[in-house]
This record gives sequence, structure tokens and C-alpha cells, in this order.
Amino acid sequence: MSEDFGMLTIFDDGGTGSKPFLQVGADGRVTAFNGHVDLGTGVETALAQIVAEELDVPLDHVTVVLGDTQRTPDQGATIASETIQIAAVPLRIAAAQARHYLLGMAARRLNAPPDRVATADGKVIWREDHVPYGALVAGHDVTLRLDRSIAPKDPKDYRIVGTSVPRSDLPAKVRGDFSYIHDLVVDEMLHGHVVRPPYAGRDSGDFIGRSLLHVDEDSVAGMDGLIGIVRKNDFLGVVAQRADQAAEIAKALNVEWACPPVGPDLSDMAQALKDYPATPRVLDTTGDFASGLAGCTTTMERTYVWPYHAHGSIGPSCAVADWNDGKPTVWSGTQNPHMLAEDLAMLMQIAAEDIDVRRLQAAGCYGRNCADDVCGDALLLSRAVGRPVRVQLTRAQETLWEPKGGAQMMEVSGGIGRDGDIGAYAMDSWYPCNRGPNLALLLTGRISPEPQQADMGDRTVIPPYRIPNKRITVHDIAPMVRSAWMRGVSALPHTFAHESFVDELAHAAGEDPVAFRLRHLDDPRTRDLVRRTAEEGDWTPQSGPRLRREGRMAYGRGFAYATYVHGTFPGKAAAAAAWVCDVTVDTQTGEVTLTRVLVGQDQGLVINPDGVRAQIHGNVIQTASRALVEEVRFDTITPLPQSWATYPIQTFDEVPAIRTMLIERPGDPALGVGESAAVPAAAAIANAIFDATGVRLRDAPFTPEKMRIGLAAVGGLAALPGGMRAPHRPAKRRIAATVAALGSALTLAAVALPTARAIPAQPAPPASSFSDALIAQGAEVFAAGDCAVCHTASDGVPNAGGRGMQTPFGTVYTTNLTPDPETGLGNWSFQAFDRAMRRGISRDGHNLYPAFPYTSFAKIMPDDMFALYAYLQTLPAVSAPTPASQMIAPVNLRPVNAVWNAMFLDTAPFAPDPAQSDAWNRGKYLVEGAGHCSACHTPRNALGAERTGTAALAGAEVDGWFAPALAGAEPAMRGWDEQRYYDYLRQGHAPDIASASGPMAEVVHSLQGVADSDVQAMATYLATLADPTVAAVPVVPPAATVPDATSRLFRTACASCHEPGLSDTLTAAQVPLGRSAAIRAPSRQALTTVIMNGIDAPLDLPLRDMPGFGGELSAQQIESLTDFLRERYAPDLPAWSAR
Amino acid sequence: MWLDDANKTQPPEGSQMTKQITFSLNGRAVSAELDPHRTLLDVLRADHALHGPKYGCGMAQCGACMVLVDGQPARACVMKVARVAKRAVTTLEGLAQPNGTLHPVQQGFVDRQGAQCGYCLNGMVIGAVALLAKNADPDEAEIRHALRDNLCRCGTHQEIIAAVRRAAVIMKETSDV
Repeated sequence: MSEDFGMLTIFDDGGTGSKPFLQVGADGRVTAFNGHVDLGTGVETALAQIVAEELDVPLDHVTVVLGDTQRTPDQGATIASETIQIAAVPLRIAAAQARHYLLGMAARRLNAPPDRVATADGKVIWREDHVPYGALVAGHDVTLRLDRSIAPKDPKDYRIVGTSVPRSDLPAKVRGDFSYIHDLVVDEMLHGHVVRPPYAGRDSGDFIGRSLLHVDEDSVAGMDGLIGIVRKNDFLGVVAQRADQAAEIAKALNVEWACPPVGPDLSDMAQALKDYPATPRVLDTTGDFASGLAGCTTTMERTYVWPYHAHGSIGPSCAVADWNDGKPTVWSGTQNPHMLAEDLAMLMQIAAEDIDVRRLQAAGCYGRNCADDVCGDALLLSRAVGRPVRVQLTRAQETLWEPKGGAQMMEVSGGIGRDGDIGAYAMDSWYPCNRGPNLALLLTGRISPEPQQADMGDRTVIPPYRIPNKRITVHDIAPMVRSAWMRGVSALPHTFAHESFVDELAHAAGEDPVAFRLRHLDDPRTRDLVRRTAEEGDWTPQSGPRLRREGRMAYGRGFAYATYVHGTFPGKAAAAAAWVCDVTVDTQTGEVTLTRVLVGQDQGLVINPDGVRAQIHGNVIQTASRALVEEVRFDTITPLPQSWATYPIQTFDEVPAIRTMLIERPGDPALGVGESAAVPAAAAIANAIFDATGVRLRDAPFTPEKMRIGLAAVGGLAALPGGMRAPHRPAKRRIAATVAALGSALTLAAVALPTARAIPAQPAPPASSFSDALIAQGAEVFAAGDCAVCHTASDGVPNAGGRGMQTPFGTVYTTNLTPDPETGLGNWSFQAFDRAMRRGISRDGHNLYPAFPYTSFAKIMPDDMFALYAYLQTLPAVSAPTPASQMIAPVNLRPVNAVWNAMFLDTAPFAPDPAQSDAWNRGKYLVEGAGHCSACHTPRNALGAERTGTAALAGAEVDGWFAPALAGAEPAMRGWDEQRYYDYLRQGHAPDIASASGPMAEVVHSLQGVADSDVQAMATYLATLADPTVAAVPVVPPAATVPDATSRLFRTACASCHEPGLSDTLTAAQVPLGRSAAIRAPSRQALTTVIMNGIDAPLDLPLRDMPGFGGELSAQQIESLTDFLRERYAPDLPAWSAR
Repeated sequence: MWLDDANKTQPPEGSQMTKQITFSLNGRAVSAELDPHRTLLDVLRADHALHGPKYGCGMAQCGACMVLVDGQPARACVMKVARVAKRAVTTLEGLAQPNGTLHPVQQGFVDRQGAQCGYCLNGMVIGAVALLAKNADPDEAEIRHALRDNLCRCGTHQEIIAAVRRAAVIMKETSDV
């Protein structure tokens, strides 16, 4: 008999009502429910193993449902490595209970003694007979309350638990079929984009939720896709049809915020923590610390400092919410679905039971990131627009706002008694973190932004050693910036202090640090772990730093151990872990490389050995990165990092080789492994650095800068090799010299000359009066002259002018070239046009500024000029008045320009050189006339006129960019020849030499309208400008530089495109930095411009784009970066002077 | 008082600059009228429901968005869709054979469990495919160098290196058959 209904359910009552732990269906399939979530650790697979084991079903019959508030029990947040150790316990019992029940049923059905039947493969077996579980369940719905008295299986009978089962989610992930929260699409879904306040990363103070002054909705009216703008106190978001539209609208939205007050000064972390209000909590007063210390023969006081860290989830948080008329569904990557439901209930003023939070996997999460915040965002937006809304935070939003892993300070004092044992030990610890209130609650003003303390600063604060006199105090302290738990919570810094201090004590006692620890450990399991890890890690007993050296490299080995104690004090112990690690210290540069790590770990029963090893590897690599390079820095108001650019993490070329030693204890309960191997990391590395160099680092991260200072202090810093310079320190800024003297010559003659007369307004001939051939010829002149480049404002109507041209004398705006009668050329006769083009005199008689290159256009032949005039009259007429120029005196006196013309304008027509080829002459005509190359490539004199002689086409700065030399030795050295010029002018790129960027890219874009023969002619002529006696010089190899924050910035923000590991990357730069004209320019200006604005190259050219960093990097960071680039990629040139 | 009653507006029809863009996507020609400035990543995810490539940083720093364009690795978050016109784009979804057999690199990652959260996995697989196309038998140092611009925050580097080595072995075995 088979029936397709029927279900066996094991349930229990919890905080939010009765919830199932386990169900067995009539098809024999098992569904397990757990209130925790999979943060990317593969714990879903481990839970399935536990259930399959207890139930004796094949692993693939088990489905695990994690973290849905409507379906799973509330088991608290997925923190403190508790899933296997705590949350899985009732699940295991439920599975055992289900097996027990099914076995009983089958025994009755088979008329067999219950203690003689067996279970295997989802069946109950009695002699040759068997009944599948599904058949036992079919036809009945049976619900059983969880019976915690049921004895689970004896671990010695385990077949599935303890084996390395592959992760169940990986096949779908590797195909791109797996649906992360970021990938979820629901019907009718719209896209939201939030606009955050300027007080990023702050969560206390009366300005929170009260800083949004004005939103100018008109600023985005009519933008594509706009659905709505949503505002509540400081919460602001836009909703649009598509995500890219929402982002564009949010960017364009004009918003006025109050300027936030400055935050605590975090430049001196120890002082900042000391100065902040705190509540001391004394946790251990064993013996009498004061008298114990008095009895010590050796005492020491040490301060250890830990920096702020970013969780740095690889994917910024994302959520989808459907308000659903007050019974919302929220799809989330949260770490704590039930807690999130409570927060959202408070936000929306509804009951938590009415909110269905469905958990999907997200990017790995190592604590409290923005996963919950973004759910509040999505739900607020969904309620406003009445449709499901997806919100994807940007990298900057995630990085700026994620609750940071807290900074921490530990003051330790203690000593060694007459017996050689630790006689006294005191620790005072400050950990400024709380549970990270949901951002939407703060921004909307739903909860008070009062500073809130929490109690998580006490994890693993008690040293694990036998010490007769202790005084352990935690100073509970509210966040200084938004901070919450991160992997290892406060235990990791505490262990950094404990295990460094114990090493220091051992050294003071002249004793081997491992032996010293063992003498102070009583617990046999711990002693076993420490001893076996040291043995496996080839630990050689030592009584002080061994200072092993080979040349400039120093080598050291370090040890540290911790039992990670988490949860409310006194807490519970998770797995214990010990490290033996090797470091290499470059005594010239201070670089510390972690080369090898062995982790021994005692986690009791191992569910999935490969899963445990993966957790150890992850803990080692992530925490080594935190200890060696990571640190969030702050300006006066907010965190500085907005992306990986200023928050580097360790990469493939830096990570250590890791070995693991799992101490198997199948008879003992499984302990959490999600964090334990992280906890000893920093101390083990610091101890290894001490062994290598004798330098004791107590202030993480252990950067090359700190290492160099430490080495210098012990006399161990090796001299830099020849040619390698210490990093440039940004010099004090000098106020740029003004151009005050420039106009004296002008002023004298300014009013002496008559100004030109006006040419009467006269309608231009209609476009239809010109022949097609003439218009086509004009179009080519127009393209050769790149007229559209300057006569189109950014995001403006083509050729309608309005682009501001920055000159040393002020800003002048380009004019409207379209045939609009009022604002354009519609009322210009050819005579007026020709005069303007050749003499720089506008139709009304006023002089045009020579930013308009009429000195070049004077060379245009009459037929070309008329063709250009004809072509312009065919453009669509656009009404666009030219903005008034803003020039400094005396240049703002237009008559001055008349004098200028008398001095610098050569109106002689172009004269071909009969000794040269026709192509050469044609090229010269185009280059000097319509092409007006000199306007950018020739430096100008103090009066703004192009210089002549050897200075002609010698390279110049223009509009923040640098136009390199076209004449003389330099182009020859760079390898320019006719073919390369042709390639460059035709497609914007000459392989290995140059790629057009900035205004030049637009010029090449414009040249698309020029005949091939003319481009060839220009190349022919330009190639002859290079000095033929000078040979091409190979690209200068990059110079070695001393590592510092700027070299790290380059590595993370720039190198993926400029020195990519995969050299054929299609989005990488096409030209080596050693060839960069901006880096080889006389000033840093062009390089600064490109770093700030990036490159947005014309889409019809085979060029590549570059993101701009102006919104992220400070002026000082950019200046340091320009210095670094100059030093490294143009080592043959002098450093730039400070700005 | 709530101010969140949205000002609902109708999206104007066809008011933005669009362009007909045709390219090959996982072996199939696609053509659509698009804003040419949209990123390839956005178009792949939003218009083609190809979710293998991931948004991680939008600035070519992390590699989660990588795809192959004409066989070359590319960071789709900084590549405008107009730049793939008339080119062939392959995403993670396009690596396996039509019958479902995994690409050797995908198989290598399964065999060596080369992911924790797996958010970076797309870039790691694409990067490894690009590497192995040029260097069929990379040593560990070469693998580390090739993948150094791909960030993994879970710390799966060791398994990923093993996965790439495994992939190289599978590819050799396959080509020997």
C-alpha cells in the first residue's frame, strides 16, 4: 500500500510558538529545520550529516531549512560558533526520536522485537524483511513533541558523521545556478537605491535621524525609470524600474544635509579608548593581585592595541522586501532572522509574527555587516511604492556603514614569582562595541541614538593559565563608531594580549615559551593540544629570540594557544586551537610574510573533517590578514575606506601554506569551529616576529612601517639598497603662485587700439542651399577640427556650446555652433564667421579669447572654411545662450585681446613646402590648421600665446591634462613613428606606446569623421617632427619602492588593471605605466586628473575605461599616490615638487 | 508623520539614448536596444538573468564579476556593454557542456571544495579558465600570481589553488583521451 500523504513531525515550543525540528514525509524524504543560518561555512551540509546519521537515511534524502522565521525555531543569532555545538543538539535528538518512533512502528508491523530490528538507508530491517520509512509514515500525520530524554546513537557507530562529505551547495554554485540573496527576482519587483547621510558609520549623537534638511525632488523629475522618492527623517531612498536607473537617480538627487559634528579623535586609539566613558566590570579577583605582584621578582606592564576592522564581505548586502499590505515577506542574507523580524516589526509598527523573513545565502559574513540594515531599507521602500523592492547596497555604502569590528585596548600587568611561576596577572580591557542597532531604526528616528553599551567585551578575557592572583576588569564602553561583533569578537584581541604577555614573561624568565605555558596548564586536553601542536610544528625549545638571519631576511617561529570562550560571561568553551607559525621579516623594508602555519585544534567530535579544515584555513588566512595589514582609519567624521582601495586584505600571492592537525575525540561533544583557529593568530605572529628580530609588536596591524620603526629601535634595520628611496612624505602645501604679473604688458596698451566693428545680423543661407558635396567636405573639416569636443558641454546638447575652458586667466565658455538665430550662428553671414575663425572677432565686434584657437584656424583654406560654414548651418538648431566668461583682470577687458592679436596672430595663409610630398603638406595643413594640435600640445607664454621655435609642440598642460610633446627628442624616444601615429589617430591606441584619454580621446572620436587618407597624412607629417637622430628608448622598468600605505593602495586599487595577474585581461590598461605621459609629465596635474576622474572613453573606439577615485581618496592620498607612481614608474625623472 | 508616500511618476518611453547592441552570449546571439553606458555586469544580471557574475566592488578590485570576452578575462563591472558589441561573452553559466558535464575547472572546484560562501567563486573559476588557456600546467606560484587580483574573504585560497591544480590534471586527462 502506498499513499502520498502522511508526515511525521517532531516539534518543540519556542519563543515564537511551536516549530518543527524535523519532518519525515511519505516519500521517505527528511526535512530538518534549524533557526541558524549558513554564513558560507557549509554548516548546512554538517547539519544534514548529523540528521542522516541519527536517522540512518542516505545523506541525499535530507533537506535542511535554515533561518526562515515562519518555518524554523528561534535559536538566536548565528554567532559564537554555536550552530553545531548548541543549535544542532535538539535537531540531533529529534532525528534520534524519529528513528526510535519509526523503528517501533515497523517492529509492530513486522511483528518483530523492537530491540532486534535495525535501521539503514531509510528502512527498518528485520531479518530478510524491511519497511521503508516512507511507507511507515504514509497515510498518517503524526506530530510528536521533542523528547530530550531520547538517547542518540553511540558515536562509535557513526558512518556519516566524521566523514568528509562534499558540500551540498557547491555544484549549483560552480554552475552559476545557485540563488544567493543577490540573485533573487520576485514578480513585480522594483529597485531601490538608498541615499545615506554624511555621518557614515556613526550611530550615536542627537544629529542621528535629524540631519536631512532638504530634498530637491525636481532635480530628478522625469529621469528614466523613476517610481518614487521615499523619505522619513534621515532615511532617504529612491525607487526605479531598474537598478541602474535607481543608482543614477540617487546620484542626481539634490539633497541638503546638516554638517555632522566631528567624532572622537581616533588617531591615537589607546588615548581615545581611555578618554571615552566606560563602566568597569570586575570579573575575576582570584587571590590578591596587589600583594601577588609585590611578591614577584620580575614584573612588567604592557599595553596591546587592536585596530578597527571591516568585515569586508565580498558582496555588499542586498535584500528584497514585499510589504504585502502589512503582512510582509522579507528575503534576506541576515545572520539572525528572528532578531531581524523583531527589528522590522518595531520599524513598521507591526507584530513580528506578521513578518516572514526568508533567509537566502549571502556573501560570507563574519559578524554583523549591513545584511539587516538593507532589509529595513527595502521594507520602507516597498511599503511606500506598494510593490516588492530590491535594494543592493553599493560597495561604498557597505564599507562605510557596516558595524566595524571594534578596536580594543588591553593593559596587562603581571610578574613572575620566586618559584618561577606567574605570580600575578591583571588585565583591563576596553572594547567599544554593541549589537549594532538596525540602521533603519536609527535613521527614521524610531529608536533613540543614545550611546548603548553591551557586554561582549568579556569573551576569553580570563587567561587560561593557573595564576594565583588575578584582577581581570572589562570596561564596558559604548561604540565610538558603529561597531559590533566580528569573528573572534573580543576574544581575539584578548588572546593577542594574553599570549603575547605570556611569551614576554617566558622570555623574561629565560624559559621556553611552550614549556612555560605547559607548566601553567592543568587541563589534560589542553595540555595535550599544546604539546602535540608544538611537536607537529617542529617546535624547538628556546630561551629567547633566536634571531635567525640569511642576508637581509630574518626568520622566526611563534606559538600561541587559546580556548575560545564565548557567550554571556563566564561563557562556554568552543574548540581550542594552537598555532605554530613561521614568519620572514625583510629587515630592509619591514615587510612581514607569514609563510607557514600549523594549527592544532581540539573540537571534540568532528562532524565533517574537510569542513573543519576549511574553517581553520579560513580563520588563519582572514585573521593573518587582519593582524598584518588591516585597519580602518577615520577622518574627523567618518571611516575612510569606501572600497578595497584603502582597506587592503591579503591576496593569493601573500597567503601562507597551512597544515592542520585535528585532534579527534569522537566520544566528546562537537564543539564550534567557526572562530577558534582565528583566536591565537595575532599573538602567534607577534611571537614569531619577536623570535626573528627581537622586536615586540604590541600594536596591530604589523605593517612594514611599524616593523621598520621597531627594527630601527633595536638596531636591526638594514640599509636600503642603492636607488631605493624611503617613501615620500607629503610636504606642506604651498599656496600656488598667482598669475598676477601676467597682464602688465596688456594693461599698458589695453585701451589704445580701436575694437573691431560689428557685422550686421543677417540670416544665414538655408541648409538646403548648399550642395551635398560641400556639406560632406564641411563635415570633414568639422571632424578634423574636433569642434564638437569643445563646443559640447558635459552631458550637454551636441555643439550647443557651454563647456567651460579653464585657462590661467579664468574660465571661458564655448559658444553655440548650431544655426539658432538668437544664440547660435543662424544670423551670421559667412563674412562674420570667416572673421571669427581667422581673427577671433565675434560678429558683434568683440574679441574672442584665444582659448578658441583662431590662430590655427587662420590657416584653413577658403574653400574648407566655406564648407565648414555650410555644414554648421545643417546642424539642428538649439537655443542655448553662452554663459558669461569669468576672466580675471585685465584679461576681462575685451580690448586687451585686440592687442594680443596684434602681438601673436599670424594671418598669413598656409604655405605648402614644395620639397615635401603632397601627403606631408596635407598633413601639415591639417595639423596646423583645422586640427589645431598646437592649441594643446604647445606650451603658452605668460600672455597665453603659443610659444614658438623649439617650444612649438613641445608638450603642455591643458585643462588638467597633459598633452605630450609631438616634436623633438621626446616622441622619438617614446618610439612614435608614422604607423603608430596612424593607429593612434585612427583608433586611439598605439600598442605599447599610448592610449588616448581625456580630451584626446574625444579628438580621436571626432577624427572618425575624417577620411583615412587625411589621417594617414597627419601621421606622415607628425612622424617627421620627431628628432630622427634620437632612438626609441625601452620602457623603464619599475623601481623598487619601500612598502607603505600608498604602495598598498596601489596594489588594491590600481594593480588589478595596471599590473594584472592575468596579463591578457581585457579590461586592464593597454599601456604600461612606464609609458604613461601623465606620469612622465612635468607636473602631477594630469595624473591627478586621471586618478580623480577616471577615464570615460568614447564607446566607438577600442579603448578602455577607468573608474575615478575622486569621490573616495583624499587629496593627500591622491598626492601620495602620484608621488609613488612617479617614483616607481619614472625613476629616471626627478620627483615632483609638492603642490 | 510619514513622508514616504512616493511621488509616483510614469517612466517616459524611450527618452534615453539607446543603441542596438549585438553580441554572442554563451554561444547564442543576443541583440537589444540598450543604453550603451550600462555595465556589462548589469546587463548580464538584469537583462539576461545570468547570476554567475557577481557585483562585488564595481571598481575592478575584487574580481567577483569576471567573464570571458573573446576568451580573454574581463571585469564586467567596469566594462560598458557597448564594448562587447560583436564579441563573444562567456559567463560561468556558459562553461559547462550542453549535456551538463562540468567544465574541467568547475569540476576541479567541486573536487577540491574550492569555496566557502562561494561569492568570489565566479571570478576564481573564470580566472582559472583564462590562466589554463595560456598555461596548461601552472605551478603553485603561477596560480597565486594569476589569481592575485581576485579577493576571497572567507580564506579559501588553499582549496582554490588545489582546485586549479586539479583542473589542470582533468584538462590534461581529457585532452589525452
